[in-house]
Amino acid sequence: MFDWVIDLPILSVVCFLPLAGALVVILFMRNSPDRSVRVFTTAVVGIDFLISIPLWFAFERQGDLFQFRESHEWIETLGVRYEFGIDGIALLLILLTTLLGFLSFLSSWSAIEIRQKEYYTFMLLLQTGMLGVFMAMDFFLFYVFWEVMLVPMYFLIGIWGGPRKLYAAIKFFLYTLFGSVLMLLGILALYFYNSTGLLRWGGLGNERSFFIPQFHEISNQIPPDLQFWIFLVFFVGFAIKVPMFPFHTWLPDAHVEAPTAGSVILAGVLLKMGTYGFVRFSLPILPDATVQLLPWMVGLSIIGILYGALVAMAQRDIKKLVAYSSVSHLGFVMLGLFALNSTGINGGVLQMINHGLSTGALFLLVGVIYERRHTRMIADYGGISSEMPIFATVFLIVTLASIGLPALNGFVGEFTILVGVFNRVWWWAALAVIGIVLGAAYMLWMYQRVFFGPLTNEDNKGLADLNIRELVYLLPIVVLCFWIGLYPKPFFRVMEKPVDYVAEKVDAAYTRAMMAEATGHSEQTED
Amino acid sequence: MPGIEPQEFLFLLPEMFLAAVGMTLLVAGSIGKGVNHRAIEGWSLAGLGLTAVLVFWIKGQAISGQLLLAEMFIHDNYAIFWKILFLVATALTVFLSARFVEEGRYRPSEYYSLLLLATTGMMLMVSGFTLLSIWISLELMALSSYILAGYFKREKKSNEAALKYFILGALSSGILLYGISLLYGATGTIQLAELAARLPGAQAANGMLVTLGWIFLAAGLLFKVAAVPFHVWTPDVYVGAPTPVTAYLAAASKAASFAILVRIFYMGLTPLVLDWQLLVASVAVLSMVWGNLAALTQQNVKRMLAYSSIAHAGYILIGVLAVNEIGLWALMFYLLAYTLMTLGAFGTVILLERREYAGETYADYAGLAQRAPLLAALMLIFLLGLTGIPPTGGFFGKFYLFAAAVESGWTWVAVIGVIMSAISLYYYMGVVVYMYFQDSERTTPVPLRAPVLVGAIGFCALVTVLLGILPGPFVELAKASLLPLP
Repeated sequence: MFDWVIDLPILSVVCFLPLAGALVVILFMRNSPDRSVRVFTTAVVGIDFLISIPLWFAFERQGDLFQFRESHEWIETLGVRYEFGIDGIALLLILLTTLLGFLSFLSSWSAIEIRQKEYYTFMLLLQTGMLGVFMAMDFFLFYVFWEVMLVPMYFLIGIWGGPRKLYAAIKFFLYTLFGSVLMLLGILALYFYNSTGLLRWGGLGNERSFFIPQFHEISNQIPPDLQFWIFLVFFVGFAIKVPMFPFHTWLPDAHVEAPTAGSVILAGVLLKMGTYGFVRFSLPILPDATVQLLPWMVGLSIIGILYGALVAMAQRDIKKLVAYSSVSHLGFVMLGLFALNSTGINGGVLQMINHGLSTGALFLLVGVIYERRHTRMIADYGGISSEMPIFATVFLIVTLASIGLPALNGFVGEFTILVGVFNRVWWWAALAVIGIVLGAAYMLWMYQRVFFGPLTNEDNKGLADLNIRELVYLLPIVVLCFWIGLYPKPFFRVMEKPVDYVAEKVDAAYTRAMMAEATGHSEQTED
Repeated sequence: MPGIEPQEFLFLLPEMFLAAVGMTLLVAGSIGKGVNHRAIEGWSLAGLGLTAVLVFWIKGQAISGQLLLAEMFIHDNYAIFWKILFLVATALTVFLSARFVEEGRYRPSEYYSLLLLATTGMMLMVSGFTLLSIWISLELMALSSYILAGYFKREKKSNEAALKYFILGALSSGILLYGISLLYGATGTIQLAELAARLPGAQAANGMLVTLGWIFLAAGLLFKVAAVPFHVWTPDVYVGAPTPVTAYLAAASKAASFAILVRIFYMGLTPLVLDWQLLVASVAVLSMVWGNLAALTQQNVKRMLAYSSIAHAGYILIGVLAVNEIGLWALMFYLLAYTLMTLGAFGTVILLERREYAGETYADYAGLAQRAPLLAALMLIFLLGLTGIPPTGGFFGKFYLFAAAVESGWTWVAVIGVIMSAISLYYYMGVVVYMYFQDSERTTPVPLRAPVLVGAIGFCALVTVLLGILPGPFVELAKASLLPLP
């Protein structure tokens, strides 16, 4: 039924449709009323979402690792190619991106009042950039998308952001650019090691190429000290994006100042690029360095979980609270990945999706109430469940999803991560559980202060409940939260192959390292 | 010394032609009082175009690498690449000068004449093969530039710029010449290939002389490319000179200086490669660090661009430093992209100028995205390009400059380079903040009075993006024009 998908350059279409939309707006809609720009661009991302759905059905679960391949010459002499292709992990993230993109466009209709044409243009460009990151199979191409995407986000925060938008925008841009330029050196080191060679380490003499599977293939041949350096620079790039403690300080500023749609995209998709980077590059290409630096990675993940949760608890601004909860949740994702077994990585990848859905929804909900009251302070609310019952219900479901109540998506993700981590080192899991408890505490406490109790603030009387448009963009997320919570199997199945592939590589490296340590010890005792 | 065949002068035809056009303009301007400004502009462009045709024509007349005119000049693809680049940059500078011609406060014929003569100097210089023919061509370029910098003769700032440029420039030319004489004393030759052959022997016999000689020579060249610590003239000259002249100095003049620096280092100072690599590495690092840090604090856009051009000298020096194939073509590619981005950025400044010196403070850019969306978008492209963000030629060029450093083992220089280019984001985006994030008190649209100028800026932006999306053909072109590596 969906075979036709395979014959089309479907990935390019999905990726560049928003760009085409943006060009149409720039070239042909300069004098159109804002309303038609709004409708047109939303239709573009809506269609983009619709044509990304067949990917889910046409993707062969047991087929090749990378599917829907597109391969063209780009810069021939340098071995830079236009390579698109996705595995199960990328597929999930692409669907998340097109869905959240569409929803955030819908949410912007009432939120954005000034310079709408520019706003929707930048949002479209952002979509293209993000989709390209998940689709690129050429490291150069990946890097291009990775950096291009920063520009529209910078503008979204800088123009349509809150009071401290200038500071937040440049901080976001500088932090992430700093990480990515260092990553660039790692890419170059891999490129030369694979081909003509580096002065200190020599090279493998393969054809010049930035092809990512090629780097996966040579992972066993990269000397450990070179792996160490490359891992380090990749780590800076990805950890800033995730963000891992102590690189997280840009995140609260960017999230709080960004317009609602910007926060949704930031939390829902942009942060996932960091974790995606780890699972796509750091772990499978540099398994020995991963194992070598494992204590540091796990340590920072656990600190992130606990620190994020504790700081979230102290927040008075709902949006800031959600922002810090992201630090905590992303710590979980990282911990799952660094369990280095397929259970943990499965959980980590699923939790990326879960976090995108539930935190995306939380930001949308905060945006809804902010548009009505123009405040995000918890203290300004209280008892509004009587005024906005539907809003309160949706908010409750999403809150419970976020803290991991069984039957909702967060539970499945966190539980799987914990099982994986427990199998590796039990006390890592024990520490992480504290984070879950804290998570439940700050979320429920916030919910209680906002929605329950007496309705004391006069301004909150007569607040309008969700309208149809708001329901339309919130319901899909609620449905997905239940779906993943009740029947996660299809999701696990689609990511099974790539996850096993990564897990096998890092697990082998872990075993090697353990063996080496054991023999090292026994040799010492023999001496 | 080999004799000179008359037909060898054929190879200097483009330069002779361009010089003739320049001098004709000068004469025509002084006899005909009412000479149409537009006509002079047109004649200059026609002259540049014909010169380009001649360059292409002589390209096929001999094989690459042929020595000419008693080995004073060399005919190779490397020189052809640069000559075309200079001609394009000069033509764009003519377009950039359009407004300033219309206002007609100063005599245009001298201006264009000097511009063409400076370009003649560059073209001769890049094909020079003896230190003296190079030095004389360099002086032709430099003397014309000094006058151009002082072209607003009733403006104090312009006078100051010209004077500073002249005094420091003359000093550096003197040092350069002194270096040449020392090397001649040590080796007995000024021809580059001979020099390379005799240097090892001379070094063994008279090490001190050789060391002083090449260091003086390098210092003179590094002054021309505006690298730290030979950069002090740059900010004042760039700010004081008429903006089209600033653009010309920052783009064409810098490209020419790099072209000849590479020619001398790669073909003449070949045996000293390990020595000059150390010098180039330290100068590159100093330029990147100081240029970027100083640019952070600037309040004037032209001054900011001046410091950014110092920083860019640092990035480009990485290409010299690496001494590998990637480094050399990346340097050529990057200078191509840099020339277009710089001309475009200064072109935008020119469009905003109300009188001679407005359009320079950041506040002049406030709300530009509302008042002139096209202009703001073009400026955004140049700024992103200068920062090195894809999809621009600036990104691609930088990527391969750093790649060259990684491949040749100068990774620590590349590390400093990438960190400094991330820092540069802050000041480039400073302009964007005003253009896009701030509202202006004036809301009237900026009139785009000079369609020619807007067209030239648009062309620069288009090629900047093209160089980022489809760099392949340009890379091929640069690769076909490489010098032999030392």
